[in-house]
Amino acid sequence: MKVLIIISLLLLCTQNVLAEAYCSLRDPTAQIQQLFPDKTTQLSIVKAVDNSTRMHVQRELPRNDLHFSELGKHTLYVAMNNDKALGFVHVRSEQSKWGLVEIIWAIDTDLTIKSFAFQRCRSPKKKLIDNADFKSVFIGKSFAELKTLLNDDGVTANNTLLSKAKEAPDLANVVLRCALKTLLITDVLWGEELKKFQ
Amino acid sequence: MRKLLGILIFICSAPSFAEFTDNLRWSVDASARINKNIGAQNTSRLYALGLDTHKVFTSSNGDLGYAVGQLYFTKLSNQAPFPFMFDSKDDSKFIVREAHINYTAGSKWMPDVRLGHFTLPFGLEESIATNGRLLDYHHGKNLGTKLDWGIGLSKVLNKFEYRLSYTLGGKDDPKSINNSYLVTGRIGSHNHHDFIIGFSFLSGKLDDIERNRIALDWQYYWGTWGVLGELALGQDNKQQHWQSEKYNLIELNKVSNNGQFKLYSQYIYQDFEQADAANQLINVGISYQINTQLEFSMASRRTVKTPPSGKNQNLLRLQLRYRY
Repeated sequence: MKVLIIISLLLLCTQNVLAEAYCSLRDPTAQIQQLFPDKTTQLSIVKAVDNSTRMHVQRELPRNDLHFSELGKHTLYVAMNNDKALGFVHVRSEQSKWGLVEIIWAIDTDLTIKSFAFQRCRSPKKKLIDNADFKSVFIGKSFAELKTLLNDDGVTANNTLLSKAKEAPDLANVVLRCALKTLLITDVLWGEELKKFQ
Repeated sequence: MRKLLGILIFICSAPSFAEFTDNLRWSVDASARINKNIGAQNTSRLYALGLDTHKVFTSSNGDLGYAVGQLYFTKLSNQAPFPFMFDSKDDSKFIVREAHINYTAGSKWMPDVRLGHFTLPFGLEESIATNGRLLDYHHGKNLGTKLDWGIGLSKVLNKFEYRLSYTLGGKDDPKSINNSYLVTGRIGSHNHHDFIIGFSFLSGKLDDIERNRIALDWQYYWGTWGVLGELALGQDNKQQHWQSEKYNLIELNKVSNNGQFKLYSQYIYQDFEQADAANQLINVGISYQINTQLEFSMASRRTVKTPPSGKNQNLLRLQLRYRY
């Protein structure tokens, strides 16, 4: 009987989901509040990032890939003021020489960058770019506009961005790649569902 | 058994399967663990197969809350001493790990409310969940239990976060046993910062022992290195005799740039009510994420100093864990 119950439970669950134990999941509540101070509630929309998403990223951003921890289910948050959508929040990780850098992206309803905050960044140079001057290069830009900041090698930023990055060009490259992947994946996976908020 | 059937009926009676699977995360979690006690020349094994689920409930205007459910079929093999929820060293049982519902739709000042079986909000374990891993912060040994049934309140505010709970002290049973209860809480800085500090307390009665604890925990991360610590002090009243309790942990850890490989070493000083508890330990462990589903981990525990009545510990543990 026990075996039958286990098999029944497993049969109800036929999709591939990869992640750490779910009791450790935390919503980035403080950062969402910081990025959208007028937010009254947040609406979660969970989607699966899978190998087809990964291939899409490789196609649109050659020489880029998704970190293995980026596969699996991810949440996009809609910041709401009562029944009005203020924008979207999407957290993504990018590998760096200081470990994984996690950035919380605030996205406008037209899928342009509104702002961002570091969720986890252990680089000692974080303070050099965690300022309004550096962020201003990203704000208001769409995926296509941000892509013009990439050099031909597809992984480093050009001087338009690096001139604002002071002594932290490597970290600036990480932030740019993360922004591009975030906007691309937001559009590919959540785009259809987000139209009702635009 | 009736609980399991209830879960099946609940799942099948959801308004529609598509609606139920919206915002649902689930994973089949299987692990095999070998414990080699070199000093006692004993080898034991622990197998677990379970479902780990997380579901967010929403309305059209926002999230209402979420639920976490972790149900594991667990089999022991020659495990001595065996955990309290088992009847013998070769027993097997369905074990509910975390199982709680959370209401999060309150106003800015109103706390979130949690109801169910959850990890007590105390010390490092509150911000670093170790369920199913070899990594351990001695939560159960220090407090008497790691999880308990009850109600919790929590909130993430602009500058800090807190979590409080009142639980029944029945551990895996949702009831109070001989007037058992636990009041537990932690207040700390946000856990995404490079430096995190928290203050915890516990007061109550569990297993017929009155317990009081306070603790200070901290974490500092620089690059791929981390230094963690927890100092817990308190008293246990066992048969009208108050005895002081101490637990101190210092950990140094390192993660590879891509997060695949993790290494940690811990020094633990403990002085618990059990007379045979070794009081100074060194733990060294590694974990390697072979691919997105498969993780291998290994840990070694050695006694540095043992009280006269105590036992030396020389343990080697290996675990293979697969999450699909």
